[in-house]
Amino acid sequence: MFNLILRGLATGSIYSLTAVGIVLILSTTNVMNFAQGDTGMFLTYIAFFFILRGIVPSLTLPIVIVAGAVLGYVVYKGLISKAKKSSHLGMMIITLGLTMIFEGIVATFFGNIPLLFPPLIPGDPVHFGSVILDRQDILCLVTALVVFGILSFILYRTKIGIAARSIADDEYASRVLGIPIDRIHSFIWAISFGLAGLAGIMTAPRLSLQPLFMVVVQLKAFTAAVLGGMNSVTGAIWGGLILGVMENLVAYYVPAIKESFSLLLIVAILLFLPNGLFGSREAGRS
Amino acid sequence: MLKIIDLTTGYGPVEVLHEVNLDFKDSRIVTVLGANGAGKSTLIKTISGILRPWKGSVLFDGKDISRMSTSQIAKMGIVHVPEGRHIFPNLTVKENLLLGGYFRSDKENKETLDQVLRLFPILKERINQKGGNLSGGEQQMLAIARGLMAKPRLLLLDEPSLGLAPILVSEIFQTVKGLAQQEGVQVLLVEQNARKALDISDTGYVMVLGRIVLSGTSDELKENPEVRKLYLGGQNV
Repeated sequence: MFNLILRGLATGSIYSLTAVGIVLILSTTNVMNFAQGDTGMFLTYIAFFFILRGIVPSLTLPIVIVAGAVLGYVVYKGLISKAKKSSHLGMMIITLGLTMIFEGIVATFFGNIPLLFPPLIPGDPVHFGSVILDRQDILCLVTALVVFGILSFILYRTKIGIAARSIADDEYASRVLGIPIDRIHSFIWAISFGLAGLAGIMTAPRLSLQPLFMVVVQLKAFTAAVLGGMNSVTGAIWGGLILGVMENLVAYYVPAIKESFSLLLIVAILLFLPNGLFGSREAGRS
Repeated sequence: MLKIIDLTTGYGPVEVLHEVNLDFKDSRIVTVLGANGAGKSTLIKTISGILRPWKGSVLFDGKDISRMSTSQIAKMGIVHVPEGRHIFPNLTVKENLLLGGYFRSDKENKETLDQVLRLFPILKERINQKGGNLSGGEQQMLAIARGLMAKPRLLLLDEPSLGLAPILVSEIFQTVKGLAQQEGVQVLLVEQNARKALDISDTGYVMVLGRIVLSGTSDELKENPEVRKLYLGGQNV
């Protein structure tokens, strides 16, 4: 049981990383980013390219973060900010277009066949008494912990992070204060795409590398984000972890609904808990 | 010093302001009076760079700022306190205030924060509460205090009395008056509460349907029969 929970947390931390990216972009830029998962897939192929060139797998961690940040900046500056004035729907469709572009590029260069992505840290599972954990799972947990620590420092302790939260609260007011909205938006896209890359290379060694391998993670992350209330970073983190654990328990005890579980959960949340667990928009009276 | 020349602007195809002229000269506080829809907020939004002028210019210390971005205008010392307060409900009072000084260094912000909290002691008590948990009057104080964090030379106040109890309105207007007299901040006040606004200001303009129809010192306006009838309820001042 304890083993199931811990491994669920490891899976859940991947959902959290992806969900946080989705929520950051949605709450500050107002774009539902359907490409969060496939961005991770694309960046993982970039990491794979470097591994083929002989780079140690664990070194691809910083590579995907940097490549993701650059990609996020380019996508925001080149596409999203251009479409912002004309249409809201347009921006959403752009993210759908991105998934096709990423899948297309990858399929062109690497084909559709599943490839084997090596574990980031090789070695046998580690035993803690009766609990057995893959090194890969430990890496997921530790990385997620570090990332969320850094993220909450940025969002609550730095000027640019507080400004990002202010945009999520009231973009008009931020503009009135002269806060450079565009610069902060590009910063958020860079962070979110960096997170996408991390989630990608954490997932790849568990499954196999192929153009659609992150689609399921995107779906789970979306569930996690809804569970967390769609506009709360803390909610997205908890949503991902809770989903990971629940899913693992369900898979063990009720294997029949393993695959459909997260979809059932989305329906249930939207029906009975539309604001999610952490999704209070207004604090107190307004 | 603010000077507006032949300013024309609007939203989409609709022209809202028609060749508006306004000159601060040596006034500390200037009030623009007008009914709902007269274009007062539009005027303020154009000065702070949220709206682009179609024609005419906005001069600040002789420099044309009408093509600058909101950030650049804010850096020059023109700070806009928007109608309806627009404080950040999920941010703490302290975070709200610090964002007012976004362009200034942490050290400068720390000093200004102390000064601003001395002006608004109630905010000091609530420094770690979320903005959304403050009462309406406190939120208006916070909105003004947040504007002051930028060390403005010109404060644009859009309807600060909106939705507040009369006693709070007086308190806020006294604070504004104190700012102008003691801190040397110039204030452009846009108000429907004509009597209280004219009481604290030096100069007034009356705006009707996007045009300035009347201007003068506050005392002149208070005596003007038209103004008394339309904006002061026809009673003795």
